[in-house]
Amino acid sequence: MSEANGSEVEDAGRVMERVRERDGAAFELLYDAYHRLVYGIALRILSDVPTAEDVTQAVFLKLWSTPQSFVSGNFAAWIARVTRNRALDVVRSRNVRQQSEVPETMPADDALEDRAFSMLDAEFVRSALARLPEEQRRPIELGFFGALTHEEIARKMDIPLGTIKTRIRTGLRKLRAQLDGVVTA
Amino acid sequence: MSTHDELLDSIAVYALGSLPRGEAATVRAHLRTCPQCREEYDALRPAVDALALSAEACTDGRSGPVPSQLLKARIMRTVQQESRPQAVAQSRVRPSWPAMIVAAAAIVLAVVTTANNLIMRSDLAQTREQLAQVQTQNAGINRRLAAQRIMIADVMDTSAKRFPVTGGQVIRRNDHLYIAMDGMPLPPKGHIYQAWTEHVGAQKMAPSITFMPDRSGVALVSLPVNASTVAAIAVSVEPDGGSKAPTTKPEFVVKLT
Repeated sequence: MSEANGSEVEDAGRVMERVRERDGAAFELLYDAYHRLVYGIALRILSDVPTAEDVTQAVFLKLWSTPQSFVSGNFAAWIARVTRNRALDVVRSRNVRQQSEVPETMPADDALEDRAFSMLDAEFVRSALARLPEEQRRPIELGFFGALTHEEIARKMDIPLGTIKTRIRTGLRKLRAQLDGVVTA
Repeated sequence: MSTHDELLDSIAVYALGSLPRGEAATVRAHLRTCPQCREEYDALRPAVDALALSAEACTDGRSGPVPSQLLKARIMRTVQQESRPQAVAQSRVRPSWPAMIVAAAAIVLAVVTTANNLIMRSDLAQTREQLAQVQTQNAGINRRLAAQRIMIADVMDTSAKRFPVTGGQVIRRNDHLYIAMDGMPLPPKGHIYQAWTEHVGAQKMAPSITFMPDRSGVALVSLPVNASTVAAIAVSVEPDGGSKAPTTKPEFVVKLT
């Protein structure tokens, strides 16, 4: 299992309690465990090293200045969402176009997405994605990392809007099915 | 396809974060009242969240970019300035009656001031966040200027090793690698250029940064990799967002050894 999903920090929630008490060593533990995840997401979305480093720095300094913003749940899932939103804000500030909406966290009763995050690693997800047909993988990646709306994805791929929506749903369901073996094991 | 089936497709797009704000509001309202769609949404969210993991940077830079070591130093400098000092061990002394009266008064005073402290703590957190944002912006500007100075010095250095390619050159100076193109055509709509690096001893190319030339066809790209570990560089046209392996014939491949 990779560091990014928290194996190096057994209980990130407890470490965050120390961060709230201004414990610099605790903060460093979290940085060492999660900086590759944060930087990787930022770089994938922004395709620009200096700006990805800016976003990484902003995410961690915000974590330090307002640690109470993390309440509970899986820390890796939370910081991944924070990073993606921050990077997408930068993308949107560059482009004047229709903006998509990233849903606010609406955790399920059993917080399944948090469990998924804690039991997966990057290589597993990459190979799961690679197993999707290109016609399903590409619109999903354009939507998640490219901050494109489904209409923009349809235009970019020159494919009818309804087809794009169906491909996104089919692809996500296949991805979910691949995760099932790990998450519900 | 029924209206509800179409809505289920929209639920997937909403979970991905690709619905425009207007449609997203409609879906969000529907989710509150439709158990079937809510179930679909809850089923797809873990898949969407897991997508973020696929972008995790690698530990050694051989199959992907790694963050700069200087980044941690910059962040930790700010953190260490604000860390609490080591706790001082308190001596255990049996309190006298006057001391206990003073202590009781202090407790009353503490209770009275707690409410004020809570308000001030909230203000302090806001101020800290604003300060962190300003520090981040300043550090970002300084870092970009420094990076540009290094890049210009590297590219202009007559002792830098240059590898000519069609329409430009690959430049290596010390541990830095650059792709400098002039007259590079814009890729087809929906596509982007992607660099690939073959590390010394590796069997295949690893994906590197994506880029676009400007309208005049000029592109100067700093590759996020230690040049001493790279045996060859290639550039190909890829779909927007980049690829995990080249999907088109490379525009060029240049060996650096």
